[in-house]
Amino acid sequence: MHQVDLEAVRNERRHLGELAPKVIRIALGLGIVGVASGVVFALIGAGWRHFLFSYTAAFAYVLSLALGGMFFVVVKHLTKAGWNVTVRRIGELSAATLPFLFLLFLPILGVVLAGSGELFRWADPEVARTDHLIHAKAPWLNPTSFALRWVLFFVIWTVISRFFFKRSVEQDESGDPALTKRMEFLSAPSMILFALTLTFASFDLLMSLDAHWFSTIFGVYYFSGAVVGFLSFAILAYMFLQRFGILQSAVTVEHYHDLGKLLFAFVFFWGYIAFSQYMLIWYGNIPEETVWFQHRQSGTWAGVAIVLLFGHFLIPFPGLLSRHAKRKLGILAFWAAWMMIMHYVDIYYIVMPNFDSHHAPLHVMDITVWIGMTSLFVALVAWVGRHCSLLPVKDPRLSEALAFENS
Amino acid sequence: MSSEITTTAEFLSDDPVKRAPLVDPRLDYHSVTETVSAIAERPKPPKAWYAAFAVALSLTLMLFALIGYLIVEGVGVWGNNNPAFWGFPIVNFVFWVGIGHAGTLISAILFLFRQKWRTSINRFAEAMTIFAVVCAGLFPGIHVGRIWFAYWLFPVPNQMEMWPNFRSPLLWDVFAVGTYATVSLLFWYFGMIPDLATLRDRARSRLSKILYGVFSLGWTGSAREWHRYERSYLILAALATPLVLSVHSVVSFDFAVAQLPGWHTTIFPPYFVAGAIFSGFAMVQTLMVPARRFFGLEKIVTMRHIENMNKVILATGSMVGYAYGIEFFIAWYSGNPNESFVFLNRAFGPYAWAYWIMVSCNVIFPQLFWFKKIRRNLLITMVIVMLVNVGMWFERFVIVVTSLSRDFVPASWGYFKPTAVDLLMLLGSFGLFFTLFLLFLRFLPIVAMAEVKGVMPHDHGPKEKGAPESAGGER
Repeated sequence: MHQVDLEAVRNERRHLGELAPKVIRIALGLGIVGVASGVVFALIGAGWRHFLFSYTAAFAYVLSLALGGMFFVVVKHLTKAGWNVTVRRIGELSAATLPFLFLLFLPILGVVLAGSGELFRWADPEVARTDHLIHAKAPWLNPTSFALRWVLFFVIWTVISRFFFKRSVEQDESGDPALTKRMEFLSAPSMILFALTLTFASFDLLMSLDAHWFSTIFGVYYFSGAVVGFLSFAILAYMFLQRFGILQSAVTVEHYHDLGKLLFAFVFFWGYIAFSQYMLIWYGNIPEETVWFQHRQSGTWAGVAIVLLFGHFLIPFPGLLSRHAKRKLGILAFWAAWMMIMHYVDIYYIVMPNFDSHHAPLHVMDITVWIGMTSLFVALVAWVGRHCSLLPVKDPRLSEALAFENS
Repeated sequence: MSSEITTTAEFLSDDPVKRAPLVDPRLDYHSVTETVSAIAERPKPPKAWYAAFAVALSLTLMLFALIGYLIVEGVGVWGNNNPAFWGFPIVNFVFWVGIGHAGTLISAILFLFRQKWRTSINRFAEAMTIFAVVCAGLFPGIHVGRIWFAYWLFPVPNQMEMWPNFRSPLLWDVFAVGTYATVSLLFWYFGMIPDLATLRDRARSRLSKILYGVFSLGWTGSAREWHRYERSYLILAALATPLVLSVHSVVSFDFAVAQLPGWHTTIFPPYFVAGAIFSGFAMVQTLMVPARRFFGLEKIVTMRHIENMNKVILATGSMVGYAYGIEFFIAWYSGNPNESFVFLNRAFGPYAWAYWIMVSCNVIFPQLFWFKKIRRNLLITMVIVMLVNVGMWFERFVIVVTSLSRDFVPASWGYFKPTAVDLLMLLGSFGLFFTLFLLFLRFLPIVAMAEVKGVMPHDHGPKEKGAPESAGGER
C-alpha cells in the first residue's frame, strides 16, 4: 500500500511565494495584450461588433471557469467529501475571482445600458418596440432588469465565494473543525443559489443573444461545460504548481486520477445534455426552435459543429476512458488542455453565430481575446491566492485525502 | 470495536475529525450473518407476512383477471378516449419505471462515488428496482390492444417484412427498458452470489440446499474468486451507470419529441431522471423504514442511512422543483401562446387539483427535510415519502393528461375520467409489486452481508490518525 510521506508534506512548499508576482506579471501582461489586441483589430477593420462578440464569448468562458470552481467547492462540502481536500483550494481561488470578473463584465453591461442592439438585439429600444416577440419579452429582457439581475448575480456569487474562501483560509490558521461544519451547513443553500443564478445568467448572457430562441435545458448545458472547463483548469493548475516545486507530495496521482474521472464523467454528461437538446429540437422540427441549430449547421458553422461533436465528446470519451490515461500525467495534461480548448469552441459555437450566422467568422482576435481573458483570469487566481497556503493544511479531513488511494 | 459509542448522538455525529461508523459498531461479522440470514431461514414467516402476502396476492390475481377482461373486451374498458388516448396505462408505466431507478443509482453511481453507506440498502433497493420494472413492463405490453401481436415490438425477422418504426421513441423504450431490466437483474443476482453461498452453507433442508446451491454457482469464497468478482462488479457498475440516465431519458423522449405543448421541452431528459431517482428513493424509504423495524435491522440500516436517503430525496426533489420552475418560466419567455396556455391550464384549469397535489407533494413537503430533526424522525419521514409516492404518480398524470386533454383545437377538448378498471389495475400493480417483494423478503438475503462486512471496521485497515477505518479504495 502506498503511503504519502507525511514528513515531506509537512516540509514542502505550499505557497506561491515568489512565483506569485511572476505569474501575475506575465498573465496580466498577456491578458492586457490579448484584450487590447482585440481593440486594435476592431480599429483596423474587424469592427467593434466583432470585438464585442469575441469579448462576450471570452467572458462567458472565464465566468464558467469561476462558476465551475464554485460548484467544485460547494459540492465538496455538500457531500462531505474527503478525497479532494488537497485539491480544493484551486476551486476556492477560482470562485474568489468572481467579484473581480464583474469589472470584466462592465463593458457588456455598458453596451446594454447604452441601449445598443449591437450585442443583444433586445437592448435596442427600437427593436423592443417593433419586434413583436421581443416586445412580448420586454418585461424580462430590458436593460434595467438585465442590469439589476446581473448585480444580484454578482452579489450572490461574491457572498458565496468569499464565504467559502475566507472560512477555509481561516481554518489554515485555527484548524477549527467547526469551520468545516459551518461550510457544510451553508453548502446546501449555496447550491440552490448557485443553480438558480447560473441558469439565469446563462439565459441572459448566452441564450438571449438570440432573443427569439429558447431552450429549457440551456442552464444545464452551460453548467456541464463550466464543470468540464474548471476540472481541466484545475488539473493543469496543479501540474503547473508541482512543476515549480509546490505541493509535490500532497497532491498525488490518486487525486489526478479522481479529477480525471470527474472530467470524464462531465465530458459524458455534457454529451448527454447536448444530445438531449439537439435531438429533441431536431425531432420536434418546430421552426422557432430549429432556427438556432439551422444557423449552426449551415455554411462553415457545420464544420464547427462537427469539431464540437467529435472534439468535445466522441474523441475525449475513449481518450479519458482508461485508467492509464488518467494516471499518466502527460496524457491527462493533454486531455485537460484539449478540453479547455474544446470548451472555448463550445462557447464560440453558442455566441458567434449571432454575429455571423452563415460563416464562422474566425478572426485572430477570437483567439487573442480568449487567451487574453483567460490570462486575466489566471492573474486574478494568482493574485487572490498570493498569500494563502495552496493546501488547506488544517482541514480535519486532510489526512483522509492524503491517505486516499484508488484500488 | 469500541463499545463506548453507544449513544445515538455519537453514532450520528457529523464531526469532520472522525467519520462515524457506517453500521452500528456493536455488530460483528457473525451477528451480521445471523441477523440477515435468520430472516430467510426461519421455518415459518411471521403471521403478518402471511397477512400481507394474502392481500398482495389477491390484488395481483385481480390484476391478472382484469388483464384477461381487457384482452377479451379491448382497451375500451379503460378511460382512454379522444382526446386523451394515453391515460392510466402510460402514467403507470412511467411511474413504475421511475420507481425502478433507485436500485441502479445506489448500486452503480453511489458505488462509483465511493458512498459506502449504500452497502446496507443496495440489495433491498436493487430488488425493488427489478419488481418495479416488472410492473412497468406490463403496461405498455397490454396497451398495444392486440396483445397477441405484442412481439411485433421486437425487430423479429418475419416473412411479412414488417419492422417496428425505429424512429419512434416508443420503440427505443423497448430497448432501453429491456436493457435496463437485464442489467439490473444481472447486477442484483451477481451481487447476491456470495450471500446465496452463505445461505447454502447454512441451509438445513435438502430443498434449500439444492436451490441455494444451484444459484450460488459453486461459490467458495476463495481469494481468486473475490478478486474476479470485485473486478467484474466494478465493470458492471460502470456499464450500469449510463443506464441510470438513459432509461428515463428515453421515457421522457416519448413525450418530448412530440410537438405538443407541455411535452416538447428540452429539459425533459435530465428532469425525468431526477424525478425517477426522487420517486425511487421515496419508495426505498417507504419499504425500508417498516422493514428494518420488522426484521430488526436497525443496527445495519441505521438512522444515518435513513437520513442520507432523506437528503437524496430533498436534493432530487429540489431538482424536480427547478425543472417545474424553468418550464414555467420558459413557457412565458418563449412567447408561444400555446406553451403559456398549457402551463396556466395546468395550474388553474380543470386539472388544477392534480397539479397542486403534484407541486405540494414533490416540491413543498420534501422541503421539510431541510431540518435534521425531521430527517431523523421515522414517522414524519414515512408521511413525507408516502406523499412523494403520490406526488410522483400525479406528476406523470399531469404531464400525460393535461397536455392531451386540451390541445390546439378547443373544439376537441375533453376531460379524462378513469374507469374502475383503470383504478383497480393501478391498485393491482401495487399488489404485483408487493407480492414479488414479499417473496424476496422471505427467501433471499435482503441485505448484502458480504458488502456490509466490507465496510465494517476491521483489524488490518489503515491506522493513520484521523483516517476512517474505511478510507481507501472503492472496496
